[in-house]
Amino acid sequence: MNDNYHVFSDGRLERHNDTVRLVTDEGEKKYLPIENAEALFLHGQIDYNTRLMSFLNDEGVAAHVFGWNDYYAGSIVPERGQTSGRTLVEQVRSYDDPDSRLSIARAFVAGSIHNMRANVSYYHNRDHDFESVIDELERIGDGLDEAGDVSELMGMEAGARRAYYSTFDAILPEGFVFGGRQYNPPSNEVNSLISFGNSLVYANCVSAIRATALDPAVSFLHEPGERRYSLALDIAEPFKPVLADRVIFRLLNRGQLTTDSFEEDLNACLLTETGRKTFSKAFEETLDRTVEHPRLDRKVSYQYLLRIEAYKLKKHLLTGEPYEPFERWW
Amino acid sequence: MVYVIAVYDVQADRTRLFLNYLRRHLVHVQNSVFEGEVTEGELERMRNHVEDLLEPGESTIIYTVSAESYVDRTVFGDDPTEDSQFL
Repeated sequence: MNDNYHVFSDGRLERHNDTVRLVTDEGEKKYLPIENAEALFLHGQIDYNTRLMSFLNDEGVAAHVFGWNDYYAGSIVPERGQTSGRTLVEQVRSYDDPDSRLSIARAFVAGSIHNMRANVSYYHNRDHDFESVIDELERIGDGLDEAGDVSELMGMEAGARRAYYSTFDAILPEGFVFGGRQYNPPSNEVNSLISFGNSLVYANCVSAIRATALDPAVSFLHEPGERRYSLALDIAEPFKPVLADRVIFRLLNRGQLTTDSFEEDLNACLLTETGRKTFSKAFEETLDRTVEHPRLDRKVSYQYLLRIEAYKLKKHLLTGEPYEPFERWW
Repeated sequence: MVYVIAVYDVQADRTRLFLNYLRRHLVHVQNSVFEGEVTEGELERMRNHVEDLLEPGESTIIYTVSAESYVDRTVFGDDPTEDSQFL
């Protein structure tokens, strides 16, 4: 099992007897079994030293840092265990070839639209009428082949997302108004959840890419350099509806998160610590869910699907086998 | 993946060896009792390492089940494995 460990307390993380120990500000000591850790998610105010960093590096465990306001602040990733000059060369070559880049970028958008549509259909079949949104998503999805360049694709993606988001106000329970996507800072509860959820997806993609020889900075849909690990933004795209949005719907519709789980601060609306904990827990449960994989002929966790995505992309770059994006099949 | 329960009974001044080692793999639930999910390979490494640590008169028992859901587990009081991923 590749577990993510989320640290919400304030305190100090240290290497202790060949594993990681958290000493909270209250003096409580807690141990993390390092052997099956995938990554540490640091949400609290944490002190650490270089000794811990080199230990995490040796163990191949990443640390993702979350700030109080902007949520995802950055990652400290282990030195790459996988290096392959050939993969990097092919990746850059493919990025540099307009046709090749466009076809990979199109796959990410196609996957993303397919999975948005799956969410909308789910609620369409449960006493909502989203016929027009489904048609719109289908129309945009069918038109992807006509996009002449990546920025046109980005525009189509944005259009699909707008149509998709228009269903949120109907899906979410009373008391939660979405009213369109806003970030930096998120202006209301739903926007705040989407920001937090997406940053968790993104951080998990960073971990997944690190397991391969792909370079996380060379991306196809997003411009490289837009953010440091822009390939994680690409891969995150088709997973956001499945991993982040479904958790949001579930938690709000079941009342596990209420308006009390948020605090207003300087025109921003942010999750409280308890709220973040509830969300992260539900998110981790989702990552641990398994589904029968038709090609691998065994059950894989949602978390492993991220890794498969990176492997598929690498295989496409090296062998030319068509890259089929992740599209929810169950 | 297998779910493991490990218990040990060793000389008082040597318990920390086992404690420190098992903490890297599992959750410490009670004095000399550990639980957690590991891969088959990790289990094999644990078996070998524990065997190396043992001295005459000491013992360690590792129980395995194929999945956590097969363990019928009733906890009275605080459950140390609960939320062990969230600190």
